[in-house]
Amino acid sequence: MNKALSNPSAISTVSRSRFWIKVRSDPVGIGAFVVLCLLYLLALLGPLFYRISPESTDPLGVLVGPGPAHWLGTDELGRDVFSRLLYGGRVSLSVGLLSMLVGLLIGTVVGGAAGYFRGLEALLMRLVDVFMAIPTFFLLLVIVTVFGNSPLTVILTVGIGFWAQMARVIYAEFVKYRGLEFVEAMQALGASHLRIMVRHIFPQVLPQAIVLATLGVGWAILNEAALSYLGLGIQPPLASWGNMLQNAQVYLYSNPMLAVYPGLCIALTVLAFNTLGNALRDILSPRG
Amino acid sequence: MAAFALRRLLEGLLVLLLVSAITFFLINLAPGGPSAAVSLEKTAAQREALYHQFGLDKPVPVRYLDWLGGVLRGDLGTSLNQGLPVSSLLEQRMWNTLQLALTTLVLTTLLGMGLGIAAALYKNRWPDHLISGVATLGMSIPGFWLGILAIIVFAVQLKLFPSSGIFSVGAEFSLLDRLRHLVLPAGVLAFTLMPNVVRVTRSALLEVMSSDYVRTARAKGVAERVVLLKHTLKNALVPVIAILGLITTVLFSGSVVIESVFGWAGLGRLAIEAANGRDYPVILGVTLVAGAVVVMVNFLVDLLYAAVDPRISHE
Amino acid sequence: MQLRWKFKPWLVLVLVGLLGGAAQAQDYDPNGSLTFATNADPTLNPWAPNAVVESNLINELIFEPLVRYNKKDLTPSPGLATSWKVAPDGLSWTFNLRKGVKWSDGKPFTADDVAFTYNNIALNKKLGATGGNLYAPLSKVEVIDPYTVRFVLNTPFSSLPYYLAYFTGILPKHILGDAENPLTLADFNKKNPVGTGPYKVAEFVSGSYVRLVKNDSYWGGPPKVASVVFKIVPDPNTQMAQLLGGELDMVTVTNPALLAGIERNPKLKLIRQNQNIYYFVALNQNDPRFKDVRVRQALLYAIDRKAIIDAVLKGYGEIATGPIAPLQKLFYRKDVPSYAFDPKKAQELLKQAGWVPGPDGVLTKDGKPLEIDMPTGQFGYLVPATLLVQQYWKAIGVKANVKVMEWNAYIQQMFVNRQYQATLAWWSTPPTPDVSPYYQSSSADKGQNIPNFKSAELDKLLEDGRKATSLRSQVLAYLQMQRFVAEQLPYLYLWYPDILTVRDDKIGGMVDLNQAVAFQYASEWFVKR
Repeated sequence: MNKALSNPSAISTVSRSRFWIKVRSDPVGIGAFVVLCLLYLLALLGPLFYRISPESTDPLGVLVGPGPAHWLGTDELGRDVFSRLLYGGRVSLSVGLLSMLVGLLIGTVVGGAAGYFRGLEALLMRLVDVFMAIPTFFLLLVIVTVFGNSPLTVILTVGIGFWAQMARVIYAEFVKYRGLEFVEAMQALGASHLRIMVRHIFPQVLPQAIVLATLGVGWAILNEAALSYLGLGIQPPLASWGNMLQNAQVYLYSNPMLAVYPGLCIALTVLAFNTLGNALRDILSPRG
Repeated sequence: MAAFALRRLLEGLLVLLLVSAITFFLINLAPGGPSAAVSLEKTAAQREALYHQFGLDKPVPVRYLDWLGGVLRGDLGTSLNQGLPVSSLLEQRMWNTLQLALTTLVLTTLLGMGLGIAAALYKNRWPDHLISGVATLGMSIPGFWLGILAIIVFAVQLKLFPSSGIFSVGAEFSLLDRLRHLVLPAGVLAFTLMPNVVRVTRSALLEVMSSDYVRTARAKGVAERVVLLKHTLKNALVPVIAILGLITTVLFSGSVVIESVFGWAGLGRLAIEAANGRDYPVILGVTLVAGAVVVMVNFLVDLLYAAVDPRISHE
Repeated sequence: MQLRWKFKPWLVLVLVGLLGGAAQAQDYDPNGSLTFATNADPTLNPWAPNAVVESNLINELIFEPLVRYNKKDLTPSPGLATSWKVAPDGLSWTFNLRKGVKWSDGKPFTADDVAFTYNNIALNKKLGATGGNLYAPLSKVEVIDPYTVRFVLNTPFSSLPYYLAYFTGILPKHILGDAENPLTLADFNKKNPVGTGPYKVAEFVSGSYVRLVKNDSYWGGPPKVASVVFKIVPDPNTQMAQLLGGELDMVTVTNPALLAGIERNPKLKLIRQNQNIYYFVALNQNDPRFKDVRVRQALLYAIDRKAIIDAVLKGYGEIATGPIAPLQKLFYRKDVPSYAFDPKKAQELLKQAGWVPGPDGVLTKDGKPLEIDMPTGQFGYLVPATLLVQQYWKAIGVKANVKVMEWNAYIQQMFVNRQYQATLAWWSTPPTPDVSPYYQSSSADKGQNIPNFKSAELDKLLEDGRKATSLRSQVLAYLQMQRFVAEQLPYLYLWYPDILTVRDDKIGGMVDLNQAVAFQYASEWFVKR
């Protein structure tokens, strides 16, 4: 490990040349990637072909079974379940992706700076502590009651719940590198800090970050569901897989499928992201 | 070392001060008020009387300073909706959360690291695939959903374990009874948290095992088990400690969702009730406790980092 | 072993033969225990500002009101007061108190306790006591002798006994009399309450449960159920699961959809109860658009209430016609305008009021579309019901902008600030025809008159009802009141929901009619063998 670290460019070239070989030898990872592509495509394009409103209620046709009119039947208000799954997928999948990006961005900048600059270390990491210490629930409650439960606020709040953890991991990685010879050598040669961080340390941390981010999407989707359970997630009439699952709870005994569909969608997506994350970890790790 | 600890202690106090101030001002931004006053049963006149009783007719900064003064004198205030001293509420709930958190932490650590080591040793053979598969599944299911299913299967259908509560009503203290009540919530929590530990242990081990010095040790003919224990595990501990630290903070600030599903009277549920009922002193009390745990755990984690990995120093 | 098994039936037969008579006299389990659920930590003081729905039923077992509801028709009947009489001018009521009643700490119950409860608590505006606002006509309570009190009124209050029976237990003066604030004593409210009721607190574990044991010195004789436990279970799904698993003996089902599982446990039976509850849509009368009665009527005609009852309440409800629910048999009148679902009529009325379809189908008047801000809170089935109303209004060209809010924030916006144009909510009121707190002009904006409906005519009708000195005149006054509100629609009346309670078959002696009443007669409950 030490040898590899002292000569960073060696790893990246090796990795790059071996990347595709490793990818090809990992059918499970490829499978997960394909499943995710399909899910995103379905959520994106599905509503163009399955043109039933997800919000149109019908008290005279509630809890109808699957049929040609409603492929997966209707829910407790007579809304089309399949259509809600498609639109709910748009919301849940984008909440997952975007909130992870928010968390990743803030977390990497703060964690990286704290890990690299010893002067900023204490200040930034205690700031991370502050954010980890405020129970996320309180933050959410405030944001949701003040700004409403739009997808945007949910994305931001889930992302904010994510960045502090991300920052601690990235920080720990940067700390490992900051004292190494190659960094010190770069500094002696007059390279700017930004350049060292972005061009030389970040690529080392990148595999770890990609893996964390991939797992983070799954985590964010689960978090949206948990928020719905606490009444702070995406609000009806807008559908999300999380609020569909939450609403279905009371129908567990009479109409279990109402819970099974969104539950399966969440589990499948998160499973695929996690599998992909693990596969990427194996592929991107310098040895293995 | 001592200087480092002292510095972190001071920083920790500063963090808590900041956390309480941010929480106080934020939570006062949220519309609403204590549910004793903001309810369909209270007229404007009653509400005014109660706001006066609660001291909520004072401006927010004044109320924060009042509260801070109280804290410095060791008084965390009185719950607006429960009428009990915040410190006594926190004490009760802290114990309950501690039971659940420690049980879960032990379960998660032992099972997670054990399975992680097994998966690493049998890399790419069927035990690895099985363990990885179950672990990935565990981190893919919403916790509240798993909790409800567990209740239906184990409490309603099989009647094996109680579905909620911490001990049987009116019963004498009995360890067995406590454990029976712990099985479902701790089991569900561990099932959702453990996968992270399995993953991290496995990959950290694999990374270290493929490193030069371990190869050298192997080449020298050192037995596999000795390699694993003496050389590899210690070095693989850094990321494992990081993830365990994270899990600990999550558990102690109260696993809000699982505590709700299983009616576990811990800090998490106290936090929800306080937030829903805008019980400001309780909200701040919970935040202080959760904040202290985070500060402490992060401090310990950093210490452990330094202990197992000499590259990380805090000098 | 073998021998003993063979002998057992014999033994049983002999015993049954010998003790036949005795066994029949006591076919309940004297050590029986019942376990119920409540959704949050209760406050064991019926007047405490924080004692509301989570505490009400528990407090009925510990504290007793002067008046109870009759088990058959909810009319006022004796509680701690054995009889009462109103003065001819209607301005004072004299109550004779029950003798020989003891507080659970052994001290005697007297008129002083009654005077203390009303003078120092209900009427003390500084305390903000729950329910204190319902006693606006009361001036003071005078002690005549240790067993007689007189309620002195500012204005006549014909429904006083009904209100005295509504979650208003009498508190002990000898314990709370010296307290600076008798409603905030933690030791009383959370640990050792002292009441006259059939049960007393044995143990209160915060966040877990409250265990009550029978009060053997209860004036009505020792209760037959040895202990009653209230477990604190916040999640209604978990409550239902515990009922199915036998961990709970009774659950009140807030969402009828949850009933689907109960046939799995053959010992459970569903009881449909009534309470004076009605759901409504309030149209804020501070919004000039809703001052036109035709608009209010049209918006009610547009809603298919039967369909909503079937879909959301699974049929467990009845279309509402006004604030008096059918369980008040003496006063309820069905023959008032009822606004059966008729979207055409709705559009017609709106057209008469000047609302005509705009280019996008939304009705407009003076170039402004008929858009309605409709906040709603996460509670029970308010959200789904609101979404259905939204859909029905959309069908006649009315655009409702539904905003789902966190409960506390919703109450703040809708109730405290009255910042809403329409909202769907409910009232649960004492089973009395006197609905003044929810309708009189003086409750608009600041009190429980949610739609801020101000009408001198309605105020007069409500006052007539309060002034009535005979049952006949009372019935007549409230008949007119019901006609008026059905025509004018201060609230758009939606439905009277059934209160659904699922009980384990082992519970005996419990009144079916109404939960609040069932708990007033807890000493008669028993656990079947």
